[in-house]
Amino acid sequence: MEKDKKLEELFLAQKPAFDDKAQFMAQLTRRLDAVEYVRRHQEATLRRYKLAMVAAFIVGIVSGVVTMAFVLSMPADVPLFTFSVESSLLLWIAEHSRLIATTALALLMCFGIMSIISNVQDVLALRHNSIHIVDSTA
Amino acid sequence: MTREEFILQVEREQEALRSFLLALCCGNKSDADDLAQDALVKAYLSSAGYQEQGKFRSWLFKIAHNTFLNHKASCRTMETLDDARPLISSTTADNAFEHQTLYLALRTLPPKERSAITLFYLNGYSIKEIAVITDTSEDAVKKQLSRGRDKLRQELKMND
Repeated sequence: MEKDKKLEELFLAQKPAFDDKAQFMAQLTRRLDAVEYVRRHQEATLRRYKLAMVAAFIVGIVSGVVTMAFVLSMPADVPLFTFSVESSLLLWIAEHSRLIATTALALLMCFGIMSIISNVQDVLALRHNSIHIVDSTA
Repeated sequence: MTREEFILQVEREQEALRSFLLALCCGNKSDADDLAQDALVKAYLSSAGYQEQGKFRSWLFKIAHNTFLNHKASCRTMETLDDARPLISSTTADNAFEHQTLYLALRTLPPKERSAITLFYLNGYSIKEIAVITDTSEDAVKKQLSRGRDKLRQELKMND
């Protein structure tokens, strides 16, 4: 495509001169300082999240394994716990103590896993927002 | 790219970038400089992933162009108010321009045509490079340039 000479000359004639270059760069430097501060803060938050997640995961696994081992080590024909009170409900609970304990443990582990997945998603979203902030613009 | 390298590159390119945005903002220097600062911060945040060696200016223009389009999209509701305002700004830098006619004419173009025309005539980019910067096809750029040029000619004649 050929350039329109008159238009080109008009554009070139009106090329602006900037006499505030140093001021512009100083303003940019201040902004970059602020960005660096926010970025460092976000990285620290991400590190804290990761540590908390790893700690929760280890504690969950260890306590789950210990409880499961305890449940499995008890004799199958003896209830895990008994009540010294004569009540039909408490007797039923004592009879099914093994099943109740296993169900409660499974629910707890399920809740822990869901919590970890949710945290991982939060961390990934946080990282995505901070690192790929330009993806929508570039 | 380290921070020092980035600043060094920006120092070299700031004039071209600001001229480009000033034309896109039709002579509104404060808007142009705000957009330039925003674009540079975005560029800095993604500078770790910058790998196109030797094409820093094009990469910067691409970010600036998208920042401008996003800004235009977010300010769409304010367009009617902007149109009601007189174009000539009170800042000294804007008054330094003898010819406001070009900016007035550019103001009549849609943002994408304005970008294509500015990149082609002010910054001297080829159609292929403009297509990369504006993330469109070369045919689309040709159409934008053709339409934009016709409108500008018409407007400038009217203003003359």
